[in-house]
Amino acid sequence: MATISTTNSIPVAKKRARGLPVLARSLGNSSTPLSIACFYGLVILLILAPIYPVMAQANFQAIMGSGVMAAILGGHLAKSFNFSALLAVEVFSSIYGLLFGGLIAWMGGAVLPITIEDGTLDLALSRPFSRTRYYLESWVAILIGSVMVSLMLALGVWIDTFIVKNSGVEWPWMWLTLGVQWCFLFFAAGLGMLFGSFMSASRAAGGIAVGIVVLGYLLNTFGGLADQLQWMVKISPFRYAPAIDPLINHQLTWWYPCVLLGVGLVCGIAGLVVFNKRDLPTI
Amino acid sequence: MATQEPAIKIDNLAKAYGQVQAVRGISMSIERGEIFGFLGPNGAGKTTTIRCMLDVIRPTSGSIRVLGLDAQREAHTVHQHIGYLPGDVRLPGRMTGKQIINYFANLQGREPVLLKTLVDRFDVEMKRPLKGYSKGMRQKIGIVLAFMCDPDVLILDEPTSGLDPLLQKTFNEFLLEEQARGKTIFMSSHIMSDVEKICQRVAVIRSGSLVTVEEVENLREKAGQQITVEFGDTVAAQELERLPGVSNVSKTNGSYHFNISGSMDQLIKTLSQHEVIRLQAQEAPLEEVFLKFYEEPEKAALPIQ
Repeated sequence: MATISTTNSIPVAKKRARGLPVLARSLGNSSTPLSIACFYGLVILLILAPIYPVMAQANFQAIMGSGVMAAILGGHLAKSFNFSALLAVEVFSSIYGLLFGGLIAWMGGAVLPITIEDGTLDLALSRPFSRTRYYLESWVAILIGSVMVSLMLALGVWIDTFIVKNSGVEWPWMWLTLGVQWCFLFFAAGLGMLFGSFMSASRAAGGIAVGIVVLGYLLNTFGGLADQLQWMVKISPFRYAPAIDPLINHQLTWWYPCVLLGVGLVCGIAGLVVFNKRDLPTI
Repeated sequence: MATQEPAIKIDNLAKAYGQVQAVRGISMSIERGEIFGFLGPNGAGKTTTIRCMLDVIRPTSGSIRVLGLDAQREAHTVHQHIGYLPGDVRLPGRMTGKQIINYFANLQGREPVLLKTLVDRFDVEMKRPLKGYSKGMRQKIGIVLAFMCDPDVLILDEPTSGLDPLLQKTFNEFLLEEQARGKTIFMSSHIMSDVEKICQRVAVIRSGSLVTVEEVENLREKAGQQITVEFGDTVAAQELERLPGVSNVSKTNGSYHFNISGSMDQLIKTLSQHEVIRLQAQEAPLEEVFLKFYEEPEKAALPIQ
């Protein structure tokens, strides 16, 4: 072993550009669920193109127009069946929020506790790096992840338009649909961040956030089956992401996605306050 | 930054977790350029105190000032000047040593000017993923992370845990060199021999309360000498026990063993009245003094500074 003395002249530690280290690392930590979301989103969309001709020949409209299916999908298919309708059913229905919203909620819930589990949070916060910045970089990482999922789905639809003749996809409405669904992902990210801010186990925090998304889906589904249960629909976040409306019916209640943005923002900011006040545990 | 204030000043610090009082109103002051040992049995409150210093947990009451700055309200500035080594270094398995060092240098916002010295000196593995690291290898990475940006104050929680004896020796030498460069080092440890060798002062904490803050030299005086004497004639144990400073008198294999603190004048005068076949005196290990603080509250009533 070398015996080098530290009393040799040591330069003063110069400042170095920080960049966004926590953001980059949070994205790295979330790479597995993020890859799963992107992969399955793309695979589902690429499968839809070859099966569309067969689906178009079936009496799909009759099935999709029923009240039960509308409850499951989170919207009515009013127009005749086309490729956009198939996209609406298979990807941009409530199932989008359940699948991709669930994954984003998991990522949001786990992003902070996972650094408690791997022992780096203590070390990070004993450096001149504020808790607020640490939290915000983690949150932004999850939001970037959600944008990546949305863009991957847009890529999938774009590829489909080359495979399906006369797909009839209207891109302005498609972008609006993706925007509405991203609002749901924003809500899911904020929800996850809230639970991750005061919990110390990544699986527990992510699991509870996913559980709430699933609960929201069930409220939306069962609430849609009877008029007496409409209150369940109203408290479900899925009601406020009616992506079928812009994609198929070319209409949108503009304040619905604003509800998701608002609740997601409130959850995220509440998580920030909690994270700043809490004692960080050792595991 | 106030330059006249101590490196670390803890004033009436208390921390409770619900009904459990982890730290009960401790106060102490660590001077600049000092190596200060913080001792105590497991669960005594050492790590809680250290984590309060770092603002990772918040005190229930009391205050901590580091380099004259409030450790809670001015944490960001304080953290520019401290290096921290946790008691249990856990690191993300997917990253390599180089990546984790780069990550923490970015968080610090400073170039790791001591990196090469530390890597060479402690023979740190940099290229493999951290999941394959032994405890000792992780500890070495922890040491690099604490020292690499050349901080003014080092807060080390059991720094030699997991290191082999050779590296422990190297690390202790390194600490003394850092002290010579003006660094302040606050370290908790269970290894009494390390503390005895490198610390100027020690504090002992037990059940959340400070038992003593002492200079190691004073403790050494209190520990006194271990005496072994074999007499040619008959000597009663009471005759030795009566002497000032004598304690723990025992007789095995015809020889008396006892400790003596303070002046040995009376002892020598008493021994001169008897036939002494063999006389041996050696410094009593400080470990015994520390263990007294750990184990016997009523006997450990040394004055608190």
